[in-house]
Amino acid sequence: MKKSISILSLLLVFGLISCDPAVDRTVGGPEFEGTGYRAVYATAEEIAKIETQAPRPLRQPGKIYVQGNYLFVNEQGEGVHVIDNTDPAKPLKISFLKIPGNNDIAAKGQYLYADNARDLVVINIADPTSVKLVKRIENAIPSQDYPSLQQVYFECPDSKKGVIIAWEKVSMASPPACFR
Amino acid sequence: MKAKFTKCTSFLVALLVTSGLIWGCSSGLDSANVSPGSQTGVGGSMARFAITGNTLYIATKQSLEVYDITQPDQPVRTTRRDLGVGIETIFPYKNNLFIGSNNGMYIFDNSDPKAPRQLSFYSHIQSCDPVVVQGNYAYVTLRNGSTCRQQFNTLSSLDVVDISNLSNPRLMTSINMESPYGLGVDGNRLFVGEGSRGLKLFDISDPLKPVLKEFRSDIPTYDVIPYRSTLIITGEKGIFQYRYDDRDQFDLLSKILVE
Repeated sequence: MKKSISILSLLLVFGLISCDPAVDRTVGGPEFEGTGYRAVYATAEEIAKIETQAPRPLRQPGKIYVQGNYLFVNEQGEGVHVIDNTDPAKPLKISFLKIPGNNDIAAKGQYLYADNARDLVVINIADPTSVKLVKRIENAIPSQDYPSLQQVYFECPDSKKGVIIAWEKVSMASPPACFR
Repeated sequence: MKAKFTKCTSFLVALLVTSGLIWGCSSGLDSANVSPGSQTGVGGSMARFAITGNTLYIATKQSLEVYDITQPDQPVRTTRRDLGVGIETIFPYKNNLFIGSNNGMYIFDNSDPKAPRQLSFYSHIQSCDPVVVQGNYAYVTLRNGSTCRQQFNTLSSLDVVDISNLSNPRLMTSINMESPYGLGVDGNRLFVGEGSRGLKLFDISDPLKPVLKEFRSDIPTYDVIPYRSTLIITGEKGIFQYRYDDRDQFDLLSKILVE
């Protein structure tokens, strides 16, 4: 019995390492279904450009956040759709906040907190059709060099190409080397 | 390769059978504790950002970052807690933070919001997704790790964990799932996203015995927020909103489709 327990413990260690990597670059990935994620890179100047834009179609909706009558919908890696959700039967897109590299949001009062690639930014959204960047804290967030979905294939990051701001799902003939 | 998987499979099965140590991790905001009109909003269970009071928490891929936002346009970082790798989500509930990672769940006491204190870490084998908390129970979705996917696909689950003693959470019930992502709880309703496979609605009048009421394979669901009797759903097809009640009502209000 003791022996089998120690074998189990060994397997436990083995199991933890082999079964559950955050990012695994070896064989044994998820089933490949002809698609994978391609990194979208941007320069520091491009990333820093935060602005209010006209409402636009949803493409790859990510996380959501509700505050009072507002519904914020993250467009993965690109920014935030601001939606007037006073009547959930008739949501109205008000504007799009372009925040390159954005995946997460939280709001308090008239301020929206967001990741802007590696920076944390505070945006005054008192007027969602004309928002203002009020604070930028550089390098507050270590870059996440993999897509937020799990069990997917993605092209391995290449830091020489710049900072990754988004992942695009594309057709691929064969699975890339990275997956999670 | 096959031998390795087989060993791994038998071990995991053995572990599942012999112990209740497979916890889920993670979090978002307490969907049941929404107070309409409050200044702070509410996020989904997949969130990495969370605000409680004058504190902004950010779960980065490797740490918990704590910012004082008493002066909201001047966040000041008060604390950083390094947490290894694979951090995915954060869920504040009452005086605690539940932080989900790829191999476990951290529980912090944040009675002093500026200096969260780690109470415990519960490890588990499977990859996991968020947890939402209501009362004495945490509802957790566990999704198997990619390496083991083909072998362990059936082991994805929805787990109900008794957290009345935070230093000793106990797995009470486990229900098989397909590919669970975010989830939300409100009263006796529990909504669980199954990624591209759809959305499941459970009746949790008895928290220990969730009863599947509906499985909507036409609504791909990455995350949900139950808010003022409206379920807001985000997924690859777009944003869907449904009106629900504590019985069987589940009516489409609107959708914003991906174009």
